[in-house]
Amino acid sequence: MRRRLGIAALAAALLAGGLLWGLEARREPVLTVGVYAGSYWQTPNGDCYQILDDAIALFQEAHPGVRVEYVSGIPTDAYSEWLAEQILKGTEPDLFFVLPEDFNLLASSGALAELDGLMASDPDFDADGYYGPCLRAGRFGGKQYALPQESVPTIMFVNKTLLESRGIPLPDNCWTWEDFYDICARVTDLDSRTFGVYGYTWQNALYANGTGLFSEDGTACYLADERVQAAVRFARSLGNLNGGYTVTARDFDLGRVAFRPFLFSEYRAYQPYPWRVRKYSGFAWDCVCMPAGPKGDNVSELHTMLLGVGARSKNRELAWELAKLLSWDETIQSRLYTYSHGISPVRRVAENAGALAAPDLPGGFSSEVIREIMSTAVTAPRFERSAQAMMMAESAVAEAGDQDQRMLIAQREINVFLNQ
Amino acid sequence: MDNEKTLSSLSRLMFALNLAIILFYSLACLITTLRVCGSFGAYDFLSSAGRIPPPPWRMPLWALGQYLLLCAVSFGKNRWDIERFQVRLLVCLVEILLCAGVTASLGFYYSGAALLVLADLVHYVRNGAARACFTAALILLFSFGRYEILYPLTGGIAFSAYLDYYNQTVRSLFAGVESLLVCLNVLLFVLFMILLFTGQKAENSRIRKLNKQLNQANDRLRDYAFELERMTEVRERNRLAREIHDTLGHTLTGIIMGSDAGLALFDAAPEEAKKRIQVVAQAARDGLNDVRRSIKALRPDALENTSLEEALEAMITNFKATTSAEVLYDQQAGPLHFAQDEEDTLYRVLQESMTNAVRHGHATEIRIRLTRRESLLTIDVRDNGLGSGEEPQEGFGLRHMRERLELLGGSLTFGNREALDGDGERGFYIVVSLPIRGKEEEA
Repeated sequence: MRRRLGIAALAAALLAGGLLWGLEARREPVLTVGVYAGSYWQTPNGDCYQILDDAIALFQEAHPGVRVEYVSGIPTDAYSEWLAEQILKGTEPDLFFVLPEDFNLLASSGALAELDGLMASDPDFDADGYYGPCLRAGRFGGKQYALPQESVPTIMFVNKTLLESRGIPLPDNCWTWEDFYDICARVTDLDSRTFGVYGYTWQNALYANGTGLFSEDGTACYLADERVQAAVRFARSLGNLNGGYTVTARDFDLGRVAFRPFLFSEYRAYQPYPWRVRKYSGFAWDCVCMPAGPKGDNVSELHTMLLGVGARSKNRELAWELAKLLSWDETIQSRLYTYSHGISPVRRVAENAGALAAPDLPGGFSSEVIREIMSTAVTAPRFERSAQAMMMAESAVAEAGDQDQRMLIAQREINVFLNQ
Repeated sequence: MDNEKTLSSLSRLMFALNLAIILFYSLACLITTLRVCGSFGAYDFLSSAGRIPPPPWRMPLWALGQYLLLCAVSFGKNRWDIERFQVRLLVCLVEILLCAGVTASLGFYYSGAALLVLADLVHYVRNGAARACFTAALILLFSFGRYEILYPLTGGIAFSAYLDYYNQTVRSLFAGVESLLVCLNVLLFVLFMILLFTGQKAENSRIRKLNKQLNQANDRLRDYAFELERMTEVRERNRLAREIHDTLGHTLTGIIMGSDAGLALFDAAPEEAKKRIQVVAQAARDGLNDVRRSIKALRPDALENTSLEEALEAMITNFKATTSAEVLYDQQAGPLHFAQDEEDTLYRVLQESMTNAVRHGHATEIRIRLTRRESLLTIDVRDNGLGSGEEPQEGFGLRHMRERLELLGGSLTFGNREALDGDGERGFYIVVSLPIRGKEEEA
């Protein structure tokens, strides 16, 4: 009797489980998206969800019956924490935006699904359509874990008014460190408090001299490398022009500094009306590429917003479809020019003359220059210890002065730290 | 019995302790995850852990679910006695798999459940090979089911990553509780095994002791049987002596005295002497009748009411039953209807040779073959016993047999089977030849 009761209970439990499972499987799929509010690029952005909403509308046309949900109002600076929380709770979205600094952690910890298979099997998709550096930003350990959604290179701000007052022509996009130093030397006047450059450090100079501070996988530091040392010396020589005075952001805002490295997004945000009035209204300004070092090219550092599919997502195929729409679709990517301030990582969108010639866009950058910047730009490797290693390198440079020996010691110390 | 009770309560204690340990780990992980998320530490947690942990609800759900199933299987198999060996093995296998499932669900932080299942199965499975296999599998699970060993394969994050969230005091507290629970589990396991093996040892020695007592009783019984036989023999001899004294002695005395008197009167009074001799002859005839009556009284009971054939079969059946020796009886001599004294002799000869084979030769197999060529009956008895040493000595039994046979004109040969040509086997043989007179010649 008891045995029979036990068997009956087991059968009932199995039946109930099967029923629940069946109901769950029949429910219409819900795709969740993780997205931040505002702009990642420190620029004002009124319609931060517009591009996503447009993409969702397109997606739902193609996939009727699929619901797409996202939580709005997560500020950019809280987004990483929010995403980590969701991952810890096991409730991370199927598809989420990956901030450049979070990519390595998310990829190495296994939170992101590998996309190589999906990319290869999708006939509408061609990875060669992206700028190499943008796509590489989503690679980790030789595998693609994220698609680029929007890229922003570092470019050089130029105070046109100041240069014109000294009779110096605006540098072109192929200028070199020598040109740069020359202009700075001519502009600098300690009596009238005008200076050459603000905020240009040896790290900015690194990429233009054909090197980086760390290896791709974050296991080696090249601090004592000759090209790095050249960048350090160059930045120091620029600083020496100021005769001991420390140039501040306020000096630049007041129009007393000729150059300042900036993100391309700020150029896009403040150049057109009405934002142009709010900042830097006292002088005319424009942007050029970063100056090229003796061993390098006019290379900028590139920041790329990425899109990742959750490794534990139950709707991986759907998430890929939406990611492809956001990252690859020409219509959606073109909206970046209207609703955001970055450059599309997709070649045919970024170099589309029509998009660049939008009414409130200045004609400063031709599609050739954009192609040049985007195809040569370098993404600084971001790994678990990169921030700390960078701080160690900075303090070593600050302390070392001209002693190469000290640099070698510092490099060894950082290497030990990286390989701990 | 008392030992069994202690073992079962120990086992229950282990099940309860393991439940507590599983609750400890899964709740520690669950609560820590919730606290981390509640205090904006998720990003730091993820960076220091370096891997994404499984969803926090999964560990308690899966580990507890599988553990409760494991408990149900374990208690169920002890409650319902499973007869079939294969089903028993299957149940054990299910238990081991569930144990591995629990360990995996706990992120391999704790593999002590393997000890629990090991104790349970060692107690349950008596088959040596199966027991060894299960023990090996569980020890493997216990030794290598550790996060530190398996994390390159399984992923997940270390338990210490959860503890790192807390300050030193709380960490120490957690570590203390963890250590206490895990050690207690090992301690209980060791205690269980000690009790189990000492219990089994005591039972084994008890069985050995009983066996010894039984053997002693058997020996005594055998001695008693021999004693009884000897006593019966003595009594029978006494009866025979009495019988001879009473009948034959009496008659012969009468015959001697009568014939003496006849001799004395032979010349003087021939008539009288004739009368006397007639009396003597009558007395001799009466004496013969008496002797016949006595011999009849000595006949085997078995032959009294049944034929020799039936009597022999009954004797062999009976012999097999009482001695457990195998008797192969091959009767090729046709119908066995002989004179009474011949039947008696044959019966006694067979009885004696079978008894000898078991008593002196300790044989376990006896082959008896009866053949007849014309009027010569041959009985061939061979056993697989010890034989009789180098030179077979004719004991009382054999001499008695020979005497009986010679009275009827028969003969007896015997010896070790090794001495026979073409028969390399050990044992003793007896060949009896008896010329059959036929029933009509019966005196």
